[in-house]
Amino acid sequence: MAEPSGEFQHDYTCQEVVALASEYIDGTMTAEQMTAFELHLNFCDGCSSFVDQVRTTVATAQRLSTDEIPDEMKAKLLTAFKDWHS
Amino acid sequence: MVSGSVGGVAGTAEESELVGRLREGDEQAFEEAVDALYPAMFAVARGYVRVRSVAEEVVQDGWVAILDGLERFEGRSSLRTWVLQIVANIARDRGAREGRSLPFSALEVSEEEPLVEPERFLRRGEPFPEGWKVFPTDWRTLPESRVLARETRDVVDAAITSLPDSQQLVMMLRDVVGCRAEEVSEALGITAANERVLLHRARVRVRAELERYFDG
Repeated sequence: MAEPSGEFQHDYTCQEVVALASEYIDGTMTAEQMTAFELHLNFCDGCSSFVDQVRTTVATAQRLSTDEIPDEMKAKLLTAFKDWHS
Repeated sequence: MVSGSVGGVAGTAEESELVGRLREGDEQAFEEAVDALYPAMFAVARGYVRVRSVAEEVVQDGWVAILDGLERFEGRSSLRTWVLQIVANIARDRGAREGRSLPFSALEVSEEEPLVEPERFLRRGEPFPEGWKVFPTDWRTLPESRVLARETRDVVDAAITSLPDSQQLVMMLRDVVGCRAEEVSEALGITAANERVLLHRARVRVRAELERYFDG
């Protein structure tokens, strides 16, 4: 039997996919890593679900409302800005 | 739009225009900048100072320092990065005086904490070592209304709040406020690699809380 062709440098295990999920979602992987990562996702329903879960988590966090500046502070800052410029 | 120029890449025309308007004393530009930068500034302040009112003071002091330094801003980093560095410095001092400096050595990552409980994976010697014993559930089959529900957001909000301080700060800035990775690592003075690890650990922990919620 011939050795498996070395097209992919590395086959990720599920635990490795778990460790790299954010890099995949954020698009910070190398092209080579991404190819191997997606190959794994294509045949692994567990990791495909996991990556989707992280993606859903991020999307939900992105929908959280952020703190707004209190009116009183904004008024104070505007006064400070006018004084600063004058 | 100012909100589009404060998260911008360093040295863009939009950002230089905004800085120019601020230097000229353009009140509308200032008001827009104050609004747009507040979520990130407050998140940084809160990272080091637990008391809300004190964190608000930090933001206010931050603006005084920003106006003092605006003439010297050269645009080598983005405006938001520069602003957040100033806030982080003030907040660190305040936190230290309160006896609560977020030890940014805490931003050095412990390698021991597993991302997902190791018992969920097969061990070496078993078929598919490091593979799942039981697959995580597929949330893509959940009704969209459930995923988008207010309650789901509340679960995520509470989970972020209960993260370790450094993870909480990084996830707030990256995912909730929407800062870029370089802005966060530069503003907090941590390496890009540590920023990535802290963010990922935070997301995986929050994911676990959502999993408990969805899977019951």
